Amino acid sequence: MKPIALTFAAAALGAAPALVAGTHAAQAHAFLSHASPAVGSTVKESPPALELWYTEEVEPAFCKVELLDGAGKRVDHGGLKAAPGDKAELILPVPHLAPGTYKVVWHAVSVDTHRTQGDFTFTVAP
Amino acid sequence: MRFSISTRVGAIMALALSAGIGALAAPGPAWAHAVCGDRVFPATLTMDDPGVGDELSLPTITYSPIRANNGNPSGHSLDYGAEWDKTITKDLGFALNGDYFTQRGAGQNLNGWNNITLTLKDELPCWEAHEFMASIGVIREFAKSGSAELVTAGAIDKVSNTTPTLYLGKGLGDLPIGYLRPLALTGEVGFQESDNPNTSPDQWNYAFSVQYSMPYLDQHVRALGGAAFLAHFVPLVEFVYSAPHNAATTGTISPGVLYEADVWQFGVEAMLPANAATSQTQGVGVIAQFHLFIDDIFPTTLGKPLIDKDLWEW
Repeated sequence: MKPIALTFAAAALGAAPALVAGTHAAQAHAFLSHASPAVGSTVKESPPALELWYTEEVEPAFCKVELLDGAGKRVDHGGLKAAPGDKAELILPVPHLAPGTYKVVWHAVSVDTHRTQGDFTFTVAP
Repeated sequence: MRFSISTRVGAIMALALSAGIGALAAPGPAWAHAVCGDRVFPATLTMDDPGVGDELSLPTITYSPIRANNGNPSGHSLDYGAEWDKTITKDLGFALNGDYFTQRGAGQNLNGWNNITLTLKDELPCWEAHEFMASIGVIREFAKSGSAELVTAGAIDKVSNTTPTLYLGKGLGDLPIGYLRPLALTGEVGFQESDNPNTSPDQWNYAFSVQYSMPYLDQHVRALGGAAFLAHFVPLVEFVYSAPHNAATTGTISPGVLYEADVWQFGVEAMLPANAATSQTQGVGVIAQFHLFIDDIFPTTLGKPLIDKDLWEW
């Protein structure tokens, strides 16, 4: 292999990881890391609140989370807020939930303004 | 559509400079890469994804065994590629591809730069509820931008070509199919029109991929819980074909896996000859790629559109 090929290969192999390593302050899209109740789970009791943890810090003022029942009717009363001390967690108070399957619909804006969205279901079955 | 460039370095530097200056001068929100509704279409290795974005593939390394053919012994080639994707508006972007090619055996040893290709691509409004997105683009390969040694050996085109291309992506998350909802299909089809078909024939290029997104499974269908590390993987198969007007169709089938991190992606795939015509000239190869999400690494400068508007807003 000629010197120019070696130089290019070395630069290509080293540059990208070095770029990642040098970006400690990078903020990615805020995707759902995990939730309580968990995605697709079945719980025995109505949860007092819905908790969503994201992969990045989010801007609560620009985020939206709704809880829908099996008929598609919204059952929460709002009040979405960030968790104290954790800018990557959102908490939505929910009323007492009757047995059934519920759908969580969320829209998030990360602190670097990337927008993401998603939905999932969980079931309450005593 | 025709572009004029004097040298490889000059072109890359001019584009990088203009993009960098524009990015620094235009404040606005960062924009996502190929996201449509709940679906994230990851960067695929042997074909393009259906969106535009601010990304960098560096490097993409391809190893291809060359079979003994026409009296020549067997050998292999190694290709070191790079691709820079930059958004001009939220939905309009370009991609610049360059790569260094080496060949050992197969009758001759070769080293040199491949021709530069430039893609201009526009992402159409996506149908979020159905995770369906499409883009249209034009790919231009610049002959004589590569090494003369490769042109002489017939390893790269000595005639420029232009390929209008349609890109599609469809996630299956809107269907009531349970654990199959993380599946997604992407595809592209383009007609490569040569500047001189007598020297280099026109051809159809088409490709599609089948993907199963473990991140989608974890976030939308069923939490992986204790096996959460699996939520970074996207197993997939890519099928890529070229059908020249005066020769047999060739192609590769590439099964592999992508690993999705917060600001980067790594992918590796085997490259299997897709048909007998392909098997006559090449064996089972490997492709690996390290891919950076520039929109996540530099969200307020190089990673955002030069103009904070959507073409469809005008």
